[in-house]
Amino acid sequence: MFSKWLQMNNWPIRDKLIIHFLLISIIPSLCITLFISWTISNILEKQSNTHLIQLIGNVSKSLDAQAGSIQNISYFISMNQDVQRFLDEGAELLQEDQERYRLHSFLQGFSTLYSEIAGIAVVRFDGQYLSNDMYARSERNLTEEYWYHEAIAARGIYKMIGHPENRNITTHVNYKDSEIVSVVRAIQDPETGNTKGVVLIDLKLRVIAEMLNDVKLGKNGYLLVVDEKGDPIYEPPHTYSFVPSHHEEWKKQTSGSFNLEVNQENHHILYHTSTFTNWTTVGVFPMRDTLQAIKDTNKYLVLFFFLLCVIGMTASVYLSTSISKPIARLASMMRKVEEGNMNIPFLADRKDEVGMLGNSFQKMILQIKRLLKQVEEEQYKKREAELRSLQAHIQPHFLYNTLDTIQWLTRKEGAHEATEMVGALSKLFRIGLSKGNEVIPLVDEIDHIKSYLFIQKTRYKEKLNYTIDVDDTCLRLYVMKIILQPIVENAIYHGIKERRGMGNIHIQVKKSHGFLKIMIEDDGKGITEERLLSLRKSLESSTIDDNTVISTPKLSKGGEFVGYGLRNVQERIRLSYGDLYGISIESSLNKGTIVTITHPILNQRGSEQIEGSIEGHISR
Amino acid sequence: MKKLLSLYLVVILVAFTFFYIMFIKGDESSQIEREIGLQGSIDEKYVMVNFLTGIDYWKNVLKGFEDAAALLGVSIEYKGSTQYDVQEQIIVLEQVIARKPAGIAISSMDPEALNEAINKAVDAGIPVVMFDADAPNSKAYSYIGTNNFEAGVTAAHKMAQLLNGNGEIAIITLPNQHNHKERTEGFVTTVKEQYKQMSIIAIGDGKGDLWTSEQLTLQYIEQYPNLKGVFVTEANGGIGVGHALISEQKVGELKVIGFDTDKGTLDMVKSGVLSATIVQGTWNMGYWSLMHLFHLNHQLVEPISIQDSTGVSPLPTYVDTGVSVVTQENVEHFYIK
Repeated sequence: MFSKWLQMNNWPIRDKLIIHFLLISIIPSLCITLFISWTISNILEKQSNTHLIQLIGNVSKSLDAQAGSIQNISYFISMNQDVQRFLDEGAELLQEDQERYRLHSFLQGFSTLYSEIAGIAVVRFDGQYLSNDMYARSERNLTEEYWYHEAIAARGIYKMIGHPENRNITTHVNYKDSEIVSVVRAIQDPETGNTKGVVLIDLKLRVIAEMLNDVKLGKNGYLLVVDEKGDPIYEPPHTYSFVPSHHEEWKKQTSGSFNLEVNQENHHILYHTSTFTNWTTVGVFPMRDTLQAIKDTNKYLVLFFFLLCVIGMTASVYLSTSISKPIARLASMMRKVEEGNMNIPFLADRKDEVGMLGNSFQKMILQIKRLLKQVEEEQYKKREAELRSLQAHIQPHFLYNTLDTIQWLTRKEGAHEATEMVGALSKLFRIGLSKGNEVIPLVDEIDHIKSYLFIQKTRYKEKLNYTIDVDDTCLRLYVMKIILQPIVENAIYHGIKERRGMGNIHIQVKKSHGFLKIMIEDDGKGITEERLLSLRKSLESSTIDDNTVISTPKLSKGGEFVGYGLRNVQERIRLSYGDLYGISIESSLNKGTIVTITHPILNQRGSEQIEGSIEGHISR
Repeated sequence: MKKLLSLYLVVILVAFTFFYIMFIKGDESSQIEREIGLQGSIDEKYVMVNFLTGIDYWKNVLKGFEDAAALLGVSIEYKGSTQYDVQEQIIVLEQVIARKPAGIAISSMDPEALNEAINKAVDAGIPVVMFDADAPNSKAYSYIGTNNFEAGVTAAHKMAQLLNGNGEIAIITLPNQHNHKERTEGFVTTVKEQYKQMSIIAIGDGKGDLWTSEQLTLQYIEQYPNLKGVFVTEANGGIGVGHALISEQKVGELKVIGFDTDKGTLDMVKSGVLSATIVQGTWNMGYWSLMHLFHLNHQLVEPISIQDSTGVSPLPTYVDTGVSVVTQENVEHFYIK
């Protein structure tokens, strides 16, 4: 998981955004689509179910109405005077033309009014019958027929028989058994309760068929009517015969629904049983019809979903590109800047975060550019200053050329001491200038201080004595120029001059622990304890004050000349070589002072070929 | 961009596959069943309009009509005047037209009286055919029924055969009804032209009623003692005549040719009261009427124009359903077993 996540972090932001947008556009729309589909299918199923049950209930009702009117007809027939007389008196009545004609017209009236009636017959208990359009096929007595018995068994209650088969009675117009429904009712003597006869009415099945066919249950659904035994009264053609063995199912309730598999196909069966006819109207409704409706809505939903997908894809790609593109541009710009190309124009034509970022970056680059320029300028100025100082050094040439001339003149005159003095002074100047070099050979520096001491010695003949001891290994080294002279000067003016009698200055140069140590020792007056502390403090504080650099000679305002010389040396050494180096002072009053200069060992001029010494220092 | 396009392609492909599996493939299986032959819809209502709707004669016609309807899956209605009353029939027809049925089959009681109503129906775009009794001057598309003149001719030949070509004959008919008129004409013409020894002494109006015909016969028997034969152009009259013969005990003496094959008539032929009866193709009338109407309604005919602009009828204008003679020898075949 974690590694995958890490991998995700490596994806381009564009891909991440695309996937992100796709997810937030497609997953909710998928969920919504599924939810709507589910809801619709539920609602559709429920709705169609209630609707169909209602429909079937209505069909059942109209069947009842139809049956009711037939029932009324049977009552009407049995109430007729002439029919009663026929039942009482028998067939002799029919011998009379008028009676027969009256009965004929009476019965004909029904076929006039009810074209649904295929035939009417009134059968007397002895088998004699009265009918316009029906007659017995054979001599067999009609009272032996099963329908007659059923009518008697029903005791005056109306009874319907679907598909009356094998009857010995038929309609003159050839209606087959399968085309009619028979209605029988016994006519009973109200006093004795004996059956006087049976009214038989054949109803055309067409009426029921039309009623049922008129109701469309979807594309493939259909209605059928079964009697209380489960035998179909009417079943539409072209339908797989429905298994009536399931009629137990609908005996439990007057109406309801259940599912059933017929011919490997799921069917929804809805039924309504009429309490009047005891017939059950059954709606057979293939599941796939409801499914069809659901399918149709689903079709649109799926279409909608795919449309959303396409739109979502377009939108996500567009959006993510619009977000990632400027970032990518910014990144590529940064890369170019990284490579050193500072002159990249960033078109900050946008006000969003990326635009702001770009702007900031742009400003940053501008700042950097400005700083670079500044540094360049400063460098330039520094160089100019150096040049100027060089020029300033040039002028002294004239001075010591003149001094040379003076030396030559004094020698010519025989003034030896003056000659020597002028030579030393000339040397002093020459080395002090050293062609502008900051670092000079140690030998030169020693020469320089010798010249200086020579001059001073000439001045303080009785008071100053000096010795210089340079270690042989140090002779080829280089040092920063004029670091000895200020210290020696201090030693003379503040040490030797202040004491009584002859003072000695001893200068020793040696290598020690990877450093070049130059010790200037005098036996002068020395420094008081507190002054020594303040001197030391002043020396330490003067060290690299970072940027303030060389430029500020703000040292010991008290006009302490001592401080100035020492500080100058200290600053120069430390600025050039670091805090490891510098000056340290040891002193005791009336005994003398030792100033030690710690200088790196330089084997070469101007370069910091001091590794050896640093190594030595580190190893220490 | 290429990535996006290929993504689109994938989505569209998936959509198509999905649709194919979900809908097209599924629909194929559901379309097998059904669609056998001509099929109408149960909403189409074809109406049969006639007169004296209760009489047995129509039952066979109606059966034919019903059978055709069951075959085509359409619904039908049976309407007409309950009485022998032209005005009532016109009113019923008008009512039927107002409901705009899919087609109307009419048997007109009077050859002229219904023309206006029939034309109105045709003008309203309702297919109309005549059956059994024509209205020749109406705009009805066709007539399906017996060639009544020929039926009369057939009856005349049979009568001549029965009477050995000689004797006085009375005709009981419905003089106002076109088909009965034609039957009478056919009979009279044949007798006059081919059987010179035979003469028609009376043509009476039986009103299509058993009782009236019986009374009329009794009157003729009394009036014309040499009466040898009676031709009745309609069923109820035949039975009435039969009853008259029975009551006068003239059975066998008077040769009677009836019409149609209702139960009573057949019984009388069987018992010898009636010498013969003419049977019509009543079932065919109903059946082919509906077929004609169905073809018109579904515009299965050529030329299609139902409105009569070309003057060419889209249907056979006349379908003869034929007649045959039933006598005691073959009467058993006409009973329903």
